[in-house]
Amino acid sequence: MDVFLASPWIPAEWVRAHGLQPRGLWSVENFQCGPWPLSAGVCAFAEAAVRFARERSDSAVIFSTACDQMRRGFDAASLRGQSRLFLFNLPATWQTAAAGQIFRSELERLGQFLLALGGRAPSPELLRREMLLSGATRKRLLDSAAASSPRWFAEAVARFHWDGAFSPPPPAAPATQVPLALLGGPFLAPHWKWLDELEAAGGRVTLNATEMGERSLSPAFDFAAGASHPFDALVRGYCDNIIDVFQRPNTRLYSWLKPRLASRQARGIVLWHFTGCDLWRAEAGTLRETFGLPVLLLEAGAEPGAAPRQLNRLQAFVETLR
Amino acid sequence: MNSAPRQLNLDQWDARYEQLRRDGLREPAYGGPLRRLMVREKDFRLQQLRFDNSPAALRLWNFLLTENQRLHQARAGGHKIVGTMKDLGTVPVMAYALPGLRAFYPDGAWWTPCLMECSDRLLQKAERMGLDASFCPVRAMLPALVDGGHFPRPDLLICSSGAVCDDFSAIAQRLEHLGHAILWWEIPRRRRPASGETACALPGLLAAPKIQVDCVRTELQRVGQALGKLAGKTLDDDCLAAGIRAANQVRRRLDSLRRAVYSAPAAPLPALEMLVAEMLAIHFCSDREETIAVLDDLLAEVQSRARRSQFVIGAEAARIFWVNPVADLRAMNLLEELGGRLCGSDFMFSHALDLIPEDLPPLEALARSALADPMVGPTGDRAARIVRECQAGRAEAVAVSRIPGASHCAREGEIIREIVRREIGIPAIEIEIPPVCDAMLPSLASGLRALVETARSRRTR
Repeated sequence: MDVFLASPWIPAEWVRAHGLQPRGLWSVENFQCGPWPLSAGVCAFAEAAVRFARERSDSAVIFSTACDQMRRGFDAASLRGQSRLFLFNLPATWQTAAAGQIFRSELERLGQFLLALGGRAPSPELLRREMLLSGATRKRLLDSAAASSPRWFAEAVARFHWDGAFSPPPPAAPATQVPLALLGGPFLAPHWKWLDELEAAGGRVTLNATEMGERSLSPAFDFAAGASHPFDALVRGYCDNIIDVFQRPNTRLYSWLKPRLASRQARGIVLWHFTGCDLWRAEAGTLRETFGLPVLLLEAGAEPGAAPRQLNRLQAFVETLR
Repeated sequence: MNSAPRQLNLDQWDARYEQLRRDGLREPAYGGPLRRLMVREKDFRLQQLRFDNSPAALRLWNFLLTENQRLHQARAGGHKIVGTMKDLGTVPVMAYALPGLRAFYPDGAWWTPCLMECSDRLLQKAERMGLDASFCPVRAMLPALVDGGHFPRPDLLICSSGAVCDDFSAIAQRLEHLGHAILWWEIPRRRRPASGETACALPGLLAAPKIQVDCVRTELQRVGQALGKLAGKTLDDDCLAAGIRAANQVRRRLDSLRRAVYSAPAAPLPALEMLVAEMLAIHFCSDREETIAVLDDLLAEVQSRARRSQFVIGAEAARIFWVNPVADLRAMNLLEELGGRLCGSDFMFSHALDLIPEDLPPLEALARSALADPMVGPTGDRAARIVRECQAGRAEAVAVSRIPGASHCAREGEIIREIVRREIGIPAIEIEIPPVCDAMLPSLASGLRALVETARSRRTR
């Protein structure tokens, strides 16, 4: 059975070790973010997740509490008693033992849910093998990130979140475009065309820090760090490496960004967000103040690529940075 | 001093105040005519509101609108000020259990643009700080804290995180980036215990797995240590138990007041005063003992009116259950002008109205109370309580007021309305109320009027 994960911080290895197939929800080919008539303030990504969950009665969907929109989206999706839905409580704090305990207990609870779906209890060996495999693939993807074509890299990460496979992204041709960082929430397949449009406008994403970009590859497992059981290493490998805007405080995001913005020579930040995403939009000022870089807020639309108005803004942004 | 209950505008209150003074009205130190607050504090919205005409209501309004002054006086008197954010009712119980601490919610600044009719430009300042109108009006808190022009800068800022509104969390995070250190504590999204899990009963007929209660208790212990350090005294069990008992005194009075008003055949106290009175539960308006006195006065007034069968709003008014606080206080008047009355409410902090268990270890009791917050649990749980209270209050309709830009409002109204219709079959409406709703009055009025008329038309069926 397919188990769709709505956040990269829900361990796919845990699902796979239960004999079920984890799928990144954002990697679904026909995952549609509108256009729908939405109530004011509803995030199109969350709405798409709700609709997807309601329609896919043959699969399970794991929501997360990373944001209010998805948390309440779960409430909406499960309103009519859908039993194949699960809400994973991701702690917002990270500096205390309590946060780690929440993550651990949620993982155990998810395990019970997966067993109820027909999964098998994972052996430590199997879990360890899955973690080694995914860890190696993440590392290969991260190693290739700086030198890859932005479009191909986005596709390669999506492929990893879809079936765990590594498809080597081809190296990028030497470029003279303005290097930019792309930061923000879900960046879906229909949006990839936007990367081509950016290149045509004279810019280039040298750091993809969206929810489906390099940040999503940050979990790493250290079996030598005293974890006697791979489950402990799994908990630590995720808990210690979540890099996201919802964490409180979200200083880990800024610590993660700082060296990467420098090494990729980013001259500006495109802040990618869905309508109604308060968590990302509120960071624009802090990003400007912290890194001294210009920030362009770009809203995800329903159409593939950028809408004409968005494209104009993007072109103007790149032009000012030349 | 007795006169028939009715609502007065600010001009009428001037005359009423003079009459009360002539009749020997005795007031606390923060008392005085309401008009002075409009002049001194630039609370221009008072000119657009209608207030209950009782001395008890006068005391309530004076108590509410002098809070910033009270906080400044406390600071001058050597008290430490704690800014507690988002949890609405939990951390203040701990802070007031310690000597020399005053806790308040900077969140309360969300009413400042309404009260001052935006003359303080807090919302514009928030926009310049990166928080535009797509965020909840609680963004007014950011410049209010940064500028320090309204309430004193807190000695300690505490904010709950996890299952909280995105906009609030984002605003608080922006505040921290601007140099105001925050102690974040985790409140996990409440879930129902699974089979085989140890369950804990929570106030409000709720339950949560023990593992979540343990987590919140551990987090509150961390908060308690920070408060103790600030106060220079350990927040031990005896101290906290006394704080809980005192908080429950407030909650018991509010429970009596709500029962007396919401179950009466007609309204002995208007909706606006009920909203303000209920708000006292969350941090006692910075003076716990005075809160008790204010509520005692209100309760005595309501009981006296009920005995005399004297009401502010007549029995023909449609009985409306109200969900969420209103960004513009004027909206509560509007409901009554259009033929409605409150028969129940969920102003987002029903957990602060429920008694905190006194038969449990105090920190455990407080953890259970925090987890009963309607905003941290499933919307379905919140809707279930609304349904129960609608039935108890014989509600004829439900009004869900949207807070512009608030992340929880994007979804919850739809879910609550669906459950209300499905369970009890009464009409429900969702309306958005901005901080100053004058420009929206025609559409707000038509929505509320339709709700009231629909509710009334169902009586004859």
